[in-house]
Amino acid sequence: MPLHEFECSTCIPERKKHAVDKGPGEDLTSALPEGYLNTIPGSISERGCAYCGAKHVIGTPMKDVIHLSHGPVGCTYDTWQTKRYISDNDNFQLKYTYASDMKEKHIVFGAEKILKQNMIEAFKAFPKIKRMTLYQTCASALIGDDMNAVAQDVMDEMPDVDIFVCNSPGFKGPSQSGGHHTINIAWIKDKVGTVEPKITSDYVINYVGEYNIQGDEVIMQDYFKRMGIQVLSTFTGNGSYDDLRAMHGAHLNVLECARSAEYICNELRVRYGIPRLDIDGFGFEPLSDSLRKVALFFGIEERALQIIKEETARWKPELDWYKERLQGKKICLWPGGSKLWHWAHVIHKEMGLDVVSVYTKFGHQQDMEKGIARCEEGALAIDDPNELETIEAMLKLQPDIIVTGKRPGEVAKKIRVPYLNVHAYHNGPYKGYEGWVRLARDIYNAIYSPIHRLALLDISKDEIPTDKGFATRRMLSDANLNEEIASSSDLRPYTGKYDCLPDYMNHTYPDELRKKPAGDN
Amino acid sequence: MSCEVKNKERVGVINPIFTCQPCGAQFASIGIKDTIGIVHGGQGCVMFVRLLFSQHFKESFELASSSVHEEGAVFGACRRVEEGVDVLLMRYPHVKVIPIISTCSTEIIGDDIDGVVIKLNEGLLKEKYAGREVHLIPIHTPSFVGSMVSGYDIAVRDFVKYFAKKDEPNGKINLFTGWVNPGDVTALKHLLSEMQIDATVLFEIESFDSPLMPDGNHVSHGSTTIEDLRGTANASGTIALNVYEGGKAAKFLEKEFQIPTVIGPTPIGIRNTDTFLQNLKTMTGKPIPESLVRERGLAIDALTDLTHLFFADKRVAIYGNPDLVIGLAEFCLDLEMKPVLLLLGDDNSAYKDDPRIKDLQEKVDYDMQIVTNADFWELENRIKNEGLELDLILGHSKGRFISIDYNIPMFRVGFPTYDRAGMYRHPIVGYAGAIWLAEQMANTLFTDMEYKKNKEWILNVW
Repeated sequence: MPLHEFECSTCIPERKKHAVDKGPGEDLTSALPEGYLNTIPGSISERGCAYCGAKHVIGTPMKDVIHLSHGPVGCTYDTWQTKRYISDNDNFQLKYTYASDMKEKHIVFGAEKILKQNMIEAFKAFPKIKRMTLYQTCASALIGDDMNAVAQDVMDEMPDVDIFVCNSPGFKGPSQSGGHHTINIAWIKDKVGTVEPKITSDYVINYVGEYNIQGDEVIMQDYFKRMGIQVLSTFTGNGSYDDLRAMHGAHLNVLECARSAEYICNELRVRYGIPRLDIDGFGFEPLSDSLRKVALFFGIEERALQIIKEETARWKPELDWYKERLQGKKICLWPGGSKLWHWAHVIHKEMGLDVVSVYTKFGHQQDMEKGIARCEEGALAIDDPNELETIEAMLKLQPDIIVTGKRPGEVAKKIRVPYLNVHAYHNGPYKGYEGWVRLARDIYNAIYSPIHRLALLDISKDEIPTDKGFATRRMLSDANLNEEIASSSDLRPYTGKYDCLPDYMNHTYPDELRKKPAGDN
Repeated sequence: MSCEVKNKERVGVINPIFTCQPCGAQFASIGIKDTIGIVHGGQGCVMFVRLLFSQHFKESFELASSSVHEEGAVFGACRRVEEGVDVLLMRYPHVKVIPIISTCSTEIIGDDIDGVVIKLNEGLLKEKYAGREVHLIPIHTPSFVGSMVSGYDIAVRDFVKYFAKKDEPNGKINLFTGWVNPGDVTALKHLLSEMQIDATVLFEIESFDSPLMPDGNHVSHGSTTIEDLRGTANASGTIALNVYEGGKAAKFLEKEFQIPTVIGPTPIGIRNTDTFLQNLKTMTGKPIPESLVRERGLAIDALTDLTHLFFADKRVAIYGNPDLVIGLAEFCLDLEMKPVLLLLGDDNSAYKDDPRIKDLQEKVDYDMQIVTNADFWELENRIKNEGLELDLILGHSKGRFISIDYNIPMFRVGFPTYDRAGMYRHPIVGYAGAIWLAEQMANTLFTDMEYKKNKEWILNVW
């Protein structure tokens, strides 16, 4: 597999080891891009910091917690209202954020005193919230404030509160990934085992590495509950602080994002002997396999099969409607984290898209290994891409769509490539059977947007048709489609609602499913 | 009846109104052509600010990081700046200006960015980039001092201080706009053009609103040039519209080059726009033309349709950048509204002596509160627990949940505004801004009346 040298990066030779072209017939033994190394300064990388990895990615989705950052106000402000991890308690964690507001005098004389005042004020302002997470920032780490001591002090004074301290300053490691690691380990070390679980089923899991972006967790919970499985905790989307303290009570850790949360699963296995099962909520087949694996673990495979049958019957005709129309379209799969490998193969198999490039901002080599193994031949794999490289790649690859984050999406827009936000999602959830159809729908809507087609025209040079008042997506997507498929009554576009979550949340689940059948020990 | 000015009593912040200084310096730096700033600190200090800009403008802007990791935090990270400058210059041949923007972490560890700049000027630039025009400008914006507002003010001053160079008088005036939107710059340039005044507008950010073109332009960028900045020393006068955003640069030019200077007022509303035009007239001797009399007439006409019928006595809370908040409050008073709560999101000690604030204190005939170092909890707590009743909120998008949760209509104004489409395109300054603001406030109230069925029938015969 040849290393890929970007023209824009010939002057920084170390970048050559960070990109490869997946040649025909080649495997990973010939080359694998470097990963998770220090960022090259001035390269305009897309990476964030370890503070955001801890607070913004993993910490804040916990829903019943005061999330207080100890530092100047910027870290708090900048990571507030930039994600879509919702919760079923009116999005408390999205709405409220807290900063100790460290000023110059505190840098000089220490800020432990104001931190304590801050914590008490915050609890006073929200008397119903009794849990808090404290996040270190660059500033508080460098002045050496002992946040653990302050937290203990407040807990001693306020016996009904519990406080978690996460020491993950922004400079810790090459990217946000350092923060994922730190908060995983801190949580198991300090909090797991401090609350006894309330067990309500004979089948108990922790759902780990799931952040409930636009309600992913709600859909997945539904499947688990239909099998009679109790989701003791979710780490951390829509997760409750005290439920997560009781993680040790589960029979199985079901791990979704292995990039950001395998650490805690591995520790739960070492410390409590709870096995780890990696699953994948994206794509019909990976999801079906995942549900079966979880069910098999508990000896209830037929329940999974039932769900797979029902969901596939309900949603497959809709997925296939899009697949027919997305066949052969080129996609740059630039999501950042685990979607790199979760999607690399299945987006081809189930939506017909050709993956022409994969990238990771903060991933490690093993993420790239999985992504490259699964994506198409000829694909370009990039680690820690920078601004010029992504532009060069886009111009060279001429993809039909790029799935990435908000800001790089604005760059793609200008190059006249449709973009879809796959960090926060356009119109998710994207997990689950229905979610996967929603993703296909969003990709289809982006690629066949009539406005996108107009963007490709140069009125000063191109022949402009003067006999058209409008176009529809269907006119564009079906123009060259086989008539039989185009008019097939077996297939149909998405029929769900704009907000599909309430229907899932209103489901009821039979109690008897939560008990093992008699004699089945 | 009183107007009280006080600091937030709590030490902490629950939902901040402002972010920190480096953001302001970054906002200033994207306004200058051929400029890419390097933010010296952790990567989040850039990544999230770029995200914030892209949320507000729906565009991407280029800013680099020195990517300080542990090693740098422990042993000093100046080397990262040196490397960053080199990488940036190698890969971006058009770049001429690189501000080195410090953050809390690199100020705490005491990295000498001024020293690095001297070293690079003597070394790297002479050796590797001989013959290339490169300007490295250290900008100190520790996050634990001031806010994004002072960060902007400092950066604008530092850019001007670095470039301004005495030469022949250029007959122009300097216009420091403060932290505004592309729509504001268009409106201001329109006023200048009608008055036939040649001005250096700092900064030229109309191009932040950039088109999607057939040739695939990649990024948005401001278009103020190095020449524009140099020429500020040779202007016949300076007008800084905002005291706290650009005021420092104006004062610098006044002191250093004895340029006649007027600071303020922010031309929000009719009265402040009138003042602005009078100041322009006094400074340049150019008359106010008939076309602006007519434009003003259109605005007055529009406001007359709204003011006593809909706006009278409406209770308003306003938060955001200080000059913006004060300007909006003054306009609201002219519209017969009652701004009852003004929230300024940092602890600048100059606020309490600001003559505009003192004027409010002396003259408002109802109870008004001005809170400095404020956060959003100062607003929410008053609504939730202290019975504050409001008819309208004016402010940026970060406060959106207060409006949503307490069913108070809100008109989005300020930075960042990401939950309404295209707000950056519309001016809030000048007569055009007065029309836009008043009509949008009115429409916001109308929609709310309809949702709440609160005298919605009154609009039947308007």
